[in-house]
Amino acid sequence: MIEVRGLRKSIRNGARTVEILRGIDFTVPQGQFVAIMGASGSGKSTLLGLLAGLDSPSEGDVILDGVSIAHLAEDKLAEVRGRKIGFVFQSYQLIPTLTALENVLLPYELNASGNGRKKALELLDAVGLSDRLQHYPVQLSGGEQQRVALARAFVLDPPIVLADEPTGNLDSRNGKHVLDLLTTRQRDSSTTLVMVTHDPQIAAQADRQIHMRDGVVVADQLAAEEA
Amino acid sequence: MKPALPWSTAFRIGMRELRASRAKFLFVLLSVAIGVAALTGVRGFSQSFQRALLGQARGLMAADLSASLYHAASPAQVSAMNALAQHGVEMTQTIGTVSMAQAVGHPVPILVSLKAVNPGKYPFYGNLVLKPAGPLPQLLNDHTVLVDDNLLVRLHAQVGDQLKIGGKIFRIAAVIVSEPDRLSAGVGFGPRVMMTRHMLDETGLVQMGSRASVRYLFKVPKGTNIAALKAKLQQILPQAQLEDYRETNPSLTAGLDHATGLLSLICLVAMVLGAIGVGMAMRAHLQQRIEVLAIMKSIGARSSDILRIYLLQTILLGSAGALLGVLLGVGVEYALPTVFGKLLPLKPALTLPIGPVLAAFGTGILTTVLFCLPPLLDVRKIRPVVVLRRAVETGFAGRGWRGWLRENRLQLFSILVILAGLGGIAVALSDSWLVGRWFTICLAALLAFLLALSSGFLRLLRLLLGRTRAQLPSALRHGLANLYRPGNQSGAVLAALGAGVMLILSVFLMQHSIVLSLRADAPPSLPNVFLVDIGSDQLQGLKHLIAAQPGIQGKLETVPIVQGYIASIDGVPEKTLASEHYPRHLLRDVGMTWSAKLLPDTEVTAGKWWTSDTTDGVALDEYIARRLKVHPGSSIVFSAGDTTIATHVAAIFKTKGNHAFSRADYVLPPHLLKPLPAIWYADMHVKPSEIPQLERVLFAAYPTITVVNVADILDTISNIVNQITVVIHFLAAFSILSGLVILASSIASTRFRRIREVVVLKTLGATRRRIALVFSIEFAVLGLLAGTVGVLFAQIMSSILLKRLHVPFAHSYTASVVTIAANVALAVLTGWIASFRILGQRPLEVLREE
Repeated sequence: MIEVRGLRKSIRNGARTVEILRGIDFTVPQGQFVAIMGASGSGKSTLLGLLAGLDSPSEGDVILDGVSIAHLAEDKLAEVRGRKIGFVFQSYQLIPTLTALENVLLPYELNASGNGRKKALELLDAVGLSDRLQHYPVQLSGGEQQRVALARAFVLDPPIVLADEPTGNLDSRNGKHVLDLLTTRQRDSSTTLVMVTHDPQIAAQADRQIHMRDGVVVADQLAAEEA
Repeated sequence: MKPALPWSTAFRIGMRELRASRAKFLFVLLSVAIGVAALTGVRGFSQSFQRALLGQARGLMAADLSASLYHAASPAQVSAMNALAQHGVEMTQTIGTVSMAQAVGHPVPILVSLKAVNPGKYPFYGNLVLKPAGPLPQLLNDHTVLVDDNLLVRLHAQVGDQLKIGGKIFRIAAVIVSEPDRLSAGVGFGPRVMMTRHMLDETGLVQMGSRASVRYLFKVPKGTNIAALKAKLQQILPQAQLEDYRETNPSLTAGLDHATGLLSLICLVAMVLGAIGVGMAMRAHLQQRIEVLAIMKSIGARSSDILRIYLLQTILLGSAGALLGVLLGVGVEYALPTVFGKLLPLKPALTLPIGPVLAAFGTGILTTVLFCLPPLLDVRKIRPVVVLRRAVETGFAGRGWRGWLRENRLQLFSILVILAGLGGIAVALSDSWLVGRWFTICLAALLAFLLALSSGFLRLLRLLLGRTRAQLPSALRHGLANLYRPGNQSGAVLAALGAGVMLILSVFLMQHSIVLSLRADAPPSLPNVFLVDIGSDQLQGLKHLIAAQPGIQGKLETVPIVQGYIASIDGVPEKTLASEHYPRHLLRDVGMTWSAKLLPDTEVTAGKWWTSDTTDGVALDEYIARRLKVHPGSSIVFSAGDTTIATHVAAIFKTKGNHAFSRADYVLPPHLLKPLPAIWYADMHVKPSEIPQLERVLFAAYPTITVVNVADILDTISNIVNQITVVIHFLAAFSILSGLVILASSIASTRFRRIREVVVLKTLGATRRRIALVFSIEFAVLGLLAGTVGVLFAQIMSSILLKRLHVPFAHSYTASVVTIAANVALAVLTGWIASFRILGQRPLEVLREE
């Protein structure tokens, strides 16, 4: 479960202070798929970054499964990210010097003890890349890279997966494939999925849509309400 | 607590990155390698060079240590010295005295300078060259003597003839061509005759209490603490004059000291320059990896996990570079003796110089890690949110210097660690504690100054540009603004360039000053022929005769000597002084000369020389002053014949080089001495091949004047000094060149940061020319600033070190100006070369890679 309380974020730009998030509150129950929508500059990515503990809020709090992460030290935050959160980025963000298999194994090596190889192979097989294990990111197509990133996000079975425009860099066929894999996996493991997207069609598949504008939530609808 | 990243994974990731960007890491590798190669090569070479030099210096003394006395040591003293044999110290004794010698069948006897040695032991070092050649124990025995060519000339004798000394008859077995310790043993009266110690006793020429110069020569086992042995001997023989092989000749001593100091500096410079290159390359590398590091952090990596990867990588690079450097350095060291050929008395070392090699290897790795610390610690500052938003606020604006201090406390701490580490290495590596200490202090001061300057200057520039924005040409404005744009490496480049300039110019300035001073101390015109016992009535005639001879270089120096003794010092009579451990010979046998001016090649170390002829006073040699415990103002009463001269110490001086006036330990104003009877000494520089002929001519005209030829000894000394200067020149050039390569690569390492900027500018329509101009302005300002500060600090460091080494600082303003200009050119040129490929790239190629 994710709880967001009175979240504010401002950054300094020289002498000026720019407010990016201006007071945001919501709760996401375990297993829900939430799409966050909004125009460029509305604060979507900043919100996602704060949910993941990639950045710290100026005010307010983010509580993941009862743990407040707003004021955790960097190393504690890293631990929370490693244990609780899987990430899927628009530009894949694989480590270029590691193979597909090694990229998937990395969160395991950073955050868990024991051997995650079996799990990694299983996930890569599930995303259809069992013949691409030893390929480096540059040797893979965009769709393949994003599927490696999906496998990486799920390798530790995190309760929460955050996705930032995961299909933004892909053509429609590959985009659909990735999205299908993501949502199937999310449903099967009842992971909480928060996805930033511009695409109303993708958002339509979510359980809930949160619309943002100028750093505030302007609409928060459950799929059932919409229907 | 989550587990740390396994070392194996860290190693794999580190290795993969190394392999992925080979070209970039080649810079790092080469920087370490050049630094380590210079260190191994310079240090190993300079060590074997110094060993060779010291070997030659030992030859000039024929021993490691000598004790000179003016009478034989007491039986108790001799047994105390013999006890030193337990520690492996070997000892032999030589005795010098004067005697009359007469060729059998030749009516006129002459005064000879007799030297008795133990043929089995003498000399411990150096070569006694004889003609006909042969081993000393064979040629010199109880029936034979060895003589100077000069003696044969005077007595019209030849090898095989018989010589009568002290009532005994000896056969002349050989001519002494070269006697290694002739200068150290002092220029005596009359031509040299050498006999065995046993026969000297048999002749009865030296009795207990008779006047003789006794020298004890010591040879010590390797690794003996000479200073400690010297102190011990001083206790055993309180009246002796003790010298070790480093003190045989003033210009040699200075040469060795200065060479050691400078070579130490060169080693340290090589090391630090290499480390600067590594630090800069690592900084650039990590800057490029920010995004990857942010990804790692976003999937749960802690800063310590990432540090683990890059620390391993650094150690790998350091080890590989150090290994390569050691190979290069050893290669250089093996090659050098061959390259220098006959110029240097060096033989290639047959064994690997394990010590220097291990030291260089360890130093290479250690300095690599030390200098990579600040960029490595910056990893902690990378914020994972970079994966979502590229331009993340990085400033600490609004939090003031306290915030900055808090944020950078580890970096500041790491700088302290670096300085401490460097200081430690400097002291450990450098054979000169002085150089090690001042090097570290100056480097620290320079870095602090540059940091302050760069932040102050950049602030000022920002303020200035903010005010004058519209008036400046746009390329200039852009170039200047680049200096303080976020993420710019101005501070790092300034530090690297500034330190580099300081180090390189210091090496140049020091070698320049040292070479000049060595040449001044040991000019080729130093006297190599001494004339002893010239009567006042012979002086004019002698001058005319000498002037007419071929091969005379420079002028004839003459000096009057008035013999006397010291009657009292500070009111204490001579008899009382002698019973208080004042060396008796120093009181009883006093050589005085007169001079209105300071004698050539001397330096006043205390007090002041007189300025008018009528002043009262005496100037005396530093060594004598120390032994007699006098200082400027002390009163001394001299007695010469029936004249008494009561005066006070006006000045204390130090002599550089051997001159005829070295016979006089005391100099008085002319009016005090001129009326007294004097004997004259003279010296001159003669072309060595003309000396035998000159000896014959002089003997024909003035048979009573003794000619002492020290040409071959001076030759040895000037050879050593020449070798020192050649090596200094070479090693300084080597270190300057490698420094330039490393500095260029440091500047080049910033190019990766500029790719993005070039692309944006090109997309906006900027031509290559315009971009090159903008970069040139940026680099020219950096080069100018760093060059000026570096030059300033180089002057400070060189002048401190030279002052401590007692070498006059030869200012070279040309060198300073050239350095600044060259630094600007180097910065701009390498900036261009490094950007050349980027400038040629099409924008889309780069944008696509994003």
